[in-house]
Amino acid sequence: MYKLKPVPIKVLKMRDKYRNTIPKVCTSRLKIVTDFYQNNPNITGILKRAMVFKEIAEKTPILISEDEVVVGSMASTYRGSALFPENDITWMQADYDNGKLFNRELDPYIIDEEDWEYIKSVIPYWKKNSLSAMVDQYIPEGYFSAVGNQVTVYNSEGICAAPVGHFCSNYDKAIRKGFGAVKAEAQAKMAEMEGHMETDTIKQYNFYRSVVIVSDGMIVLSKRYAAEAARQAAECTNSERKAELEMMADSLNWIMENPARTFYEAIQVMFLYQIGMCLHNNMHGISFGRVDQYLGSFYEADLKAGRTTPEKAQEIFDLFALKVAEMNKIWFSGTTLTVTGYTVGQLMTLGGVDKENNDATNAVTYMMLQTAGRLILHDPPMALRINKNTPKELWEAALETTKICGGVPTFENDDVIIPALMKNGRMNLESARNYCLIGCVEPGGTGDEWPACGGSGGEAYWNMPMAIIHAINDGNNPMTDRYGNKSDKRTGAHTGYLYEMDTFDDVLEAVTTQYKYFLEWQMTMVNMFEVVAAEHMAQPLISCMMDGCMESGKDVMNGGAKNNSCGVPGVGIGNAIDCLAVIKYMVYDHKLCTAKELYEAVMNNWEGKEDLHQFILNKVPHYGNDNEYCDEWAKWLLNLFADIVSSFTNIRGCKFAPGLYPVATNVLWGLLTPATPDGRRKHEPLSDGISPVQQLDKNGPTALLKSLANIPQEKYSNGTLLNMKFHPTALSNETGMAKLEALMKTYFSMGGMEMQLNVVSGETLRKAQENPEEYKDLVVRVAGYSAYFVELFKNCQDDLIQRTELTL
Amino acid sequence: MSGINLKGKVYDIQGFSIQDGPGIRTTVFLKGCPLSCPWCHSPESQAFGSQLSWMSMRCIGIEQCGKCLNVCEKGAITPGEVTKKSGTDEDIQYVHINRKICDNCGSCTEVCYPGGLSMCGEEYTVNDLVDRVSKDTPFYEQSGGGVTISGGEALSQPQFVFEVLKSLKEIEIHTALDTTGFTDGKNIDAVLPYTDLFLYDLKHMDSVQHKQVVGVANEKILENAKRIAKAGGKIQVRIPVIPHFNDSQDNIRQTGEFCKSLGEAVVLVQLLPYHNLGITKYQRIFDDVKVLEAEPPSDEKIQKLKEILEDFGLTVTIH
Ligand code: SF4
Ligand code: SF4
Repeated sequence: MYKLKPVPIKVLKMRDKYRNTIPKVCTSRLKIVTDFYQNNPNITGILKRAMVFKEIAEKTPILISEDEVVVGSMASTYRGSALFPENDITWMQADYDNGKLFNRELDPYIIDEEDWEYIKSVIPYWKKNSLSAMVDQYIPEGYFSAVGNQVTVYNSEGICAAPVGHFCSNYDKAIRKGFGAVKAEAQAKMAEMEGHMETDTIKQYNFYRSVVIVSDGMIVLSKRYAAEAARQAAECTNSERKAELEMMADSLNWIMENPARTFYEAIQVMFLYQIGMCLHNNMHGISFGRVDQYLGSFYEADLKAGRTTPEKAQEIFDLFALKVAEMNKIWFSGTTLTVTGYTVGQLMTLGGVDKENNDATNAVTYMMLQTAGRLILHDPPMALRINKNTPKELWEAALETTKICGGVPTFENDDVIIPALMKNGRMNLESARNYCLIGCVEPGGTGDEWPACGGSGGEAYWNMPMAIIHAINDGNNPMTDRYGNKSDKRTGAHTGYLYEMDTFDDVLEAVTTQYKYFLEWQMTMVNMFEVVAAEHMAQPLISCMMDGCMESGKDVMNGGAKNNSCGVPGVGIGNAIDCLAVIKYMVYDHKLCTAKELYEAVMNNWEGKEDLHQFILNKVPHYGNDNEYCDEWAKWLLNLFADIVSSFTNIRGCKFAPGLYPVATNVLWGLLTPATPDGRRKHEPLSDGISPVQQLDKNGPTALLKSLANIPQEKYSNGTLLNMKFHPTALSNETGMAKLEALMKTYFSMGGMEMQLNVVSGETLRKAQENPEEYKDLVVRVAGYSAYFVELFKNCQDDLIQRTELTL
Repeated sequence: MSGINLKGKVYDIQGFSIQDGPGIRTTVFLKGCPLSCPWCHSPESQAFGSQLSWMSMRCIGIEQCGKCLNVCEKGAITPGEVTKKSGTDEDIQYVHINRKICDNCGSCTEVCYPGGLSMCGEEYTVNDLVDRVSKDTPFYEQSGGGVTISGGEALSQPQFVFEVLKSLKEIEIHTALDTTGFTDGKNIDAVLPYTDLFLYDLKHMDSVQHKQVVGVANEKILENAKRIAKAGGKIQVRIPVIPHFNDSQDNIRQTGEFCKSLGEAVVLVQLLPYHNLGITKYQRIFDDVKVLEAEPPSDEKIQKLKEILEDFGLTVTIH
């Protein structure tokens, strides 16, 4: 039987503090960066990026709070939030103007009046100097005709507020080599080049130079923390804490420059490097990678040498996880409609195989689950890599954890993901075996790949059913956009109306045309963004650790990493598949209505057509029921999407990689999507991940999984997402759990890539909605992330309640 | 008619059924039962013919639809009372079905797209049924599961069940047969070679009480259990624990003794404590609720009964 160990008081106190602190906006970073940019217009490009980091490292507030052992802070207060004006900050003014800045319903922030005065005073400067301002200048003229289509996602403010993210740097190298070694390497390369540089070597020289600067920055940051720990130690009267602070000071003085020596030091390097990267950029899916693999040997060595005990190490890991949970970034209030709970996707991966394909589970793997379970912590999110030899005990620990903490961990199938990553020249076998999960469910390289989903890590969510609407409506969006404008021009390709299409093949042709049109625009925009961002947002702090960059002398933004990729995730596939099946069934195969009738019913949001609507919902085959009629079109559509995406080339030389996951955009996108032929009404959420439309999977989990395994998941190396909701009674005993495990294993053996579980009854969720106070710690999986249920956007809560609950 | 084209009447097929035998299973529920257990939770299982079922949850009401009103030639469907839609504050006027007039012809279900009205009981050929349930073979293989044929009393359709089990064994699917045991011995003999596991109900050891409450005596049932054991079949005994009927320690002790007498054949004994969740199901096909309403037995009581059975060296689980 899996057991949770009791939580030490110290950790409990820290957890309470985390749960009860409302984050405060901190202007320290804003001031440092604004001053630096304003005073140094002569410093540009990669040097500017390196120097601004060093400036931050030298000046950022140093904060070691009570009882903290793992240290590092984004701001001057506990759980404080930094600002990133060089990306984009105009959203703050917009939020202020619409009254949302000071009263956010979800994920509230404290902002001091005088801080706001300062922020306001620098917004005009950044309006002309931020990345979003620069990117705006480069939007291709043709794209303006597509604006308002609601299929593609592109707006500079949105992308630039998180211009860099969704990747995993090489933490292992930071831990085992340190920045001292990297700096020396860079200096040696520079010395070699000095005085005889031709063509590209100049760029390489500049790159190495920036590496030296950021390495110094990281070392300075660590030493500043060491000094603070020493200062607190000197003043401390509690002998136990004093010793702890002294130990911390000693470690902080040593690490970063030198290789870590202990489990604690390895964790501290990981965390401080994380703080460094986040202070440099922002926070957006900056994922930790294979944490158990980095830490396992340190833990074993410490145990052997008698330096630690399992309890002590567990406590340090708990404190580390709480530090990660504490991190957050304020962003425009609209984002809380898709992602809430202050989560920023700092995903950790556990389990999986090693280089030789042996199972790599170690003691830290269990430690990570223990933390999530005993602290009921959704942040940091965790992803468990499953392979054929995953130990029984690990399955058990993971399933028990997800029962306590909905969706933590997610289950990822090595057998499908590893071969998928090797397709299309993405990476070799060794890299693929070492993959991790990024952001929410995206497979990517651990420390050797720049996958940058959507070019920026700001995922390019692509609305699948909306493109079908364009296909049957001559390229027009029938709905007003999010700003209330009704587009009076064609936003897609000219493909005619449904009632002009004589055969189903004509429909397929129109769909193909729109998919190609919108996907190519999407990827064009990503490339355009990347070109501009590469120039202004160089990443020496990431590049100096990422495999490939030190060798090539190239920044990750310029394709310097050993491996490259760029994800494009499709959203609403359940609706899109059903759209095709319904049109075919009703109009062409069974002629139950005319194309015109169906078209008009859809355009009128099914008003006055309830009979037709009900027939479509209940009598026509829907995806997710192990039904060949739909599964055939599922395959067709998802091959189409995948093939278009993966044939397009990114500016870093790699191919784009298709994905199927929505985080929670399916709810927001739903609000912006008109009625669709599958029977969905206007404003209703789109289907989630690769799931069928909510409540239209009627044949139980086995039929559902067969339908899902039938789609070409192996082509989706950017990840697929399946969220399943089980009623707790199904899993109340060991037999139930064993059968669930078998269910998942079967799905994986049939080609399923990923699965995550909510074990909660609709009744509990409804109660939690009514009495949030009593359900404060109820963690649920939303789509790409987990959160405390009571902190979710109401529509997201409803969407969760709506999802089919699998019972007995 | 014989073989794979033989038809049987099925009222439900449930995938990922995990309580009806080992592993992940698909359970096929056949219509019709010669017993009449007052606690029966599957009212739709009792009659042999198809029955009209109406589910308020799926009916969208007269204002939005009301199509069924115009279809019933017997006039069995009339406008019902205005009530609140479940879980909401919205008013809705449902339909009312006069069960005395309705002859279960099924015409109304054809126009009811939302699925409020449906027929309980669908004909399947052996072939179609085997095709349908073998779809989940990958799950059976991974979990050590298979197909369970249940009822009603499945062996009320003996030829059909025989053909289904035989076909399933031909494609190497694990089979379980859920039976009351109230059937001719020759039916048991026929299915024995194709049944990997019998899920076998033992309700009461006293034949008089048995007859009084469920309508038939128990001799044939006990006889058939012995018959299975003798032929080397495997039995998972199921005891529904019904308050004031069979929940005495004495009866359970006698049941334990009987199980023990079957020797190796009994692989597991399941105690199924009575619960009162069947009521809404009744409302779907009957005007009045006929199911037994009683206080479910306490955990302590069940635990005690479990111990009594374990004293006979039996493996016991509670569901
Ligand atoms: S046809 Fe069905 S949905 Fe319509 S009123 Fe009758 S029972 Fe209700
Ligand atoms: S089943 Fe036939 S008789 Fe009964 S209500 Fe429906 S149409 Fe009328």
